[in-house]
Amino acid sequence: MKHQLKLDYTIPFGGLQPYFDALHDGKALASACNSCGSVAFPARTQCGNCRSSDMKWVRLNGTARVLFRTDASAGSFALVKFDGADTSSTVALDNPENDAMFGTIVAPKDGAPGLWLTLVDTENEEHDGR
Amino acid sequence: MISNVSFAGGAMAPFNRRKDGSSFRDWARAAVQGALDDANLEVSDIDALVVASESDFFTMQLNPAALLADECGLVGVAAKRVEGGGASGHLAVHAGVAEVASGMARRVLVLGVEPSASHLKGTDVGALYGLSFDAWTDGMTGIDSTSLYALSAQAFMARTGATVADFARIAVRNRAHACANANAHLPLDISLDEVTASPVVASPYRRLDCSPLSDGAAAIILARTSDLPARPQGRARFRAAVSAVDTVRLGERSDPGFFAGKQRAAQRAYAAAGVTAADIGMAEVYDSYSGAQLQSLEALGLANGQTIAAEREDVFSAQGAVPVNLSGGLLGQGAPVGATGVAQVLSAALQLEGRYFGQQVANAPRFALVDTHGGIATLNAVSILEAP
Ligand SMILES: [Zn+2]
Repeated sequence: MKHQLKLDYTIPFGGLQPYFDALHDGKALASACNSCGSVAFPARTQCGNCRSSDMKWVRLNGTARVLFRTDASAGSFALVKFDGADTSSTVALDNPENDAMFGTIVAPKDGAPGLWLTLVDTENEEHDGR
Repeated sequence: MISNVSFAGGAMAPFNRRKDGSSFRDWARAAVQGALDDANLEVSDIDALVVASESDFFTMQLNPAALLADECGLVGVAAKRVEGGGASGHLAVHAGVAEVASGMARRVLVLGVEPSASHLKGTDVGALYGLSFDAWTDGMTGIDSTSLYALSAQAFMARTGATVADFARIAVRNRAHACANANAHLPLDISLDEVTASPVVASPYRRLDCSPLSDGAAAIILARTSDLPARPQGRARFRAAVSAVDTVRLGERSDPGFFAGKQRAAQRAYAAAGVTAADIGMAEVYDSYSGAQLQSLEALGLANGQTIAAEREDVFSAQGAVPVNLSGGLLGQGAPVGATGVAQVLSAALQLEGRYFGQQVANAPRFALVDTHGGIATLNAVSILEAP
């Protein structure tokens, strides 16, 4: 038989709503643990390091260093470290034709609340150079 | 340690892309009947059914355990469905082991089934698989399973010096093993060059580094050793059934190329079985991608910390000290998700009993290890079985 299932989801983000609101505006909002100081980006509602739920929001400057990248038929993706974060992030690459190893966060363009990075040449970038 | 839980018998319906109009219900019935025949049992001997199926999006059937109990004539049995992504089948086996070990049931039928190939377009299945990680973060970037595995493989290569040639050797070898397996999806006689010349899917992975989407079913019966039917041949026994999780987000792992959750599961399994990694004489390992097999072998500790050297010295080949994936693995035998782990356990048990239907291990070992995971080694299931 032929059968088509069309589903429209409405999914609240709960405690992570501020992270996604910031993402929508192209801004990087991380969670910082008041207990151990660990900074997670993407954000968490409970600390992944010490399990404390005593968290606060901290704004990152949105620059990131590429650790590994892969170029796929589905798009180009990378594992990157945002400056100021202790965790790494998987991102979609906005301009994969660029092979730079640094980038800045950019608002998602496809409607989905994904984390996107625009690659930028380092000499044009006021990166902290860690 | 688990004691008194035996493999009573099992069977699988071939893994491939069905083009004959048969349904997943047909494959499930065939696997169940084969398992009952192999165990020399009747449906009325079964107390409980555990079904493994990863997603209702694949089957278009909610509550599949009740449906399949009904389809297979298992009137009035206890029934449940177990799900854990790619590990679903293996976790269903663990649930069955727990029911027998605890005395909740005398004989449990574990049935894994998935129409991963024929029901949906590959792109739709890929989109669903993309939700196997953190659907809100990883998932919403549009990253697919192959790309996430590729990033992890790159981290692994950077740390260990593993190369695409090492990955290609695994892609070739598992397909060669599958050539002796009449139930295998991809029994291929291919060269290393064919692997490294196949189209790039997500660098460094090429098409032949990836396991296929398959249709298929597998069923095994678990019983207290004292409840086995009298038989001339002995049956394999479970010594450990352990699972452990890692962080869901790859970026939160201290080394995104290391399968730490799998290492945790394996170490617990060795301790539970009262063995060490050196006691394992063969393994069925989760090779969703060629490199993932090597990453899994590292985490399982089957080569005393020298995984890459062991791979290059053919330790994991059919003639080696620890043959891996003689069934063909996911790369060769195929991957109908819910059925995958059940079939891995089936292969290991039959090997230990000396009656495997594919390439039989040269020297039947005392202990075999089975390794399966969901996500990117996020939910890891490990079993250790002992020969009769
Ligand atoms: Zn903390």
